[in-house]
Amino acid sequence: MNAPLITLLEESGLTGHGGAAFSTATKVRAAHEHGAALIVNACDGELGAAKDGWVVAHHLEELLAGARLLAPGPRPRIRYAAHRGSAAEATLRGAGLDVLEVPARYVSSEETSLVSLANGGLARPMTKRAPFVQGGRDSGGRRVPATVVLNAETVWRVAQVTDRGAGWFRSHGTPAEPGPRLVAVGGAVGRHVVVEAESGTSFHDLFAAAGGVHQGVSTVLVGGLGGGFLQAGEAAARTWSGADLAPLGLPLGPGVVTAVDPTPRLVDVVAEQLRWAAGESAGQCGPCMFGLPALAEAWSAYARGERSARTAIERRIALLPDRGACRFPDGVARYAASALRVLDLTAATRPRTGTTR
Amino acid sequence: MIGQALWYLSRATGVVSIVLLTVVAMLGVITSGRRRPVGEQATIVMAMHRWLSLGMAAFLVTHIVTAIADGYVSIGWLSTVLPFTSGYETVWVGFGTLAVDILLAVLVTSLLRERLSRRAWRAVHWASYLLWPLAIIHGLVLSTSNEPLLQWATILCSAAFGGTVLWRLVTRHHDRDRRTAIAAQEWS
Repeated sequence: MNAPLITLLEESGLTGHGGAAFSTATKVRAAHEHGAALIVNACDGELGAAKDGWVVAHHLEELLAGARLLAPGPRPRIRYAAHRGSAAEATLRGAGLDVLEVPARYVSSEETSLVSLANGGLARPMTKRAPFVQGGRDSGGRRVPATVVLNAETVWRVAQVTDRGAGWFRSHGTPAEPGPRLVAVGGAVGRHVVVEAESGTSFHDLFAAAGGVHQGVSTVLVGGLGGGFLQAGEAAARTWSGADLAPLGLPLGPGVVTAVDPTPRLVDVVAEQLRWAAGESAGQCGPCMFGLPALAEAWSAYARGERSARTAIERRIALLPDRGACRFPDGVARYAASALRVLDLTAATRPRTGTTR
Repeated sequence: MIGQALWYLSRATGVVSIVLLTVVAMLGVITSGRRRPVGEQATIVMAMHRWLSLGMAAFLVTHIVTAIADGYVSIGWLSTVLPFTSGYETVWVGFGTLAVDILLAVLVTSLLRERLSRRAWRAVHWASYLLWPLAIIHGLVLSTSNEPLLQWATILCSAAFGGTVLWRLVTRHHDRDRRTAIAAQEWS
């Protein structure tokens, strides 16, 4: 165990930048205690995510240095997970690294999916009876060796914190969410960029870095499919931070901000996304494999103007969370709930014209 | 006279064992099928599966003991556990011995089920699909070939079990269908 490194990480307050925001110090301590193999997750699995690829493209040396700090020893077991066919995969392979080739699917880049894939299983989420950093068993009873998964940006930050100190790290962000953070800004903006930001950066500044939003953009999506929507007006009055997003029921997520294309109706955009999400289920847990298609179907009916479908949507949203092996259904439920909230707000403020919303 | 009684007893308990084994196996197949019974029905099916199997064991023990004790043909006590050691009909008696060995393994693992991993128990229990045909062939070839009544009982058992297995294989269930369809996608 590398006690000075863990103390440093603890002082810095670094948390995982893959979306779950779990204490990196705690995770690394457990990894060292159990001699866990390391997987660096550079999949950019969330919709609109691009920061892991950006780290691989621009800071590969520091990324490798961070990984070596986390997995010390003469023969460190480090694998770099990247979506099959991605630019990150090509770069990592070009550098001669041990690349874990992940199918380009939403749930395949989830932590336990990567652990499963790395140990000869399918890239589908596993139930965490205990964290796999301790090692454990899959649902079939097969042994799973101790494995720790850290997001590529997180690993890069570990190298930075070691280089520049915890004080430097804490000089960014908010006391609750310290440190610099990468945000992929995309959608209806001038150009898709990865912005070096921090918790507390205003949405205005994020969009300005991307060359501004297109005319008519009225909705912003934070955190992709695992996050949710807010009105452009709400975003203008807020910063990109957990404190500002929590009142809207939204998580900070893995650093994705999207200006929603104003041309199609929001209700249709969401219908399309939910249909896609239903197709991304790994087909393991009932609430996911049946609940997501049911939600998508109810939403499509709602988008066609069937008011009665609203009850079905709300029932599905309430039934989805806390039932699966992974948090995919929870994320989709939150996404749909936030879309309903924004649609309701928009309907309430729009003058009646006699058309369906 | 005694010898003849033992011989008839052996054949009678043999065929009863076959019938009970078939019923037990069918109940097992039904329980593990996709359209398995639920609620009270499931409890009844499972209880019958368990208790009938123990009942069958009693008939089976009688069948084996009388067949050897009879002395009309030479089988030998070793043949109760070690297959293909019987002087009489070495191969077909050996099939019966193999079936008994598998049955013992299934029985013991089921009694120790709480202390075994689910995977281990399941793997041994799957061997029942080997046990049953061995027992049927043993019965069909050896003792019922010249007794139409017994022979028909064995044939009916075959048909019933075959039908149940077929039912298990072909019944669809939306849960399994969707799992299979999704599992066929790209996941590695």
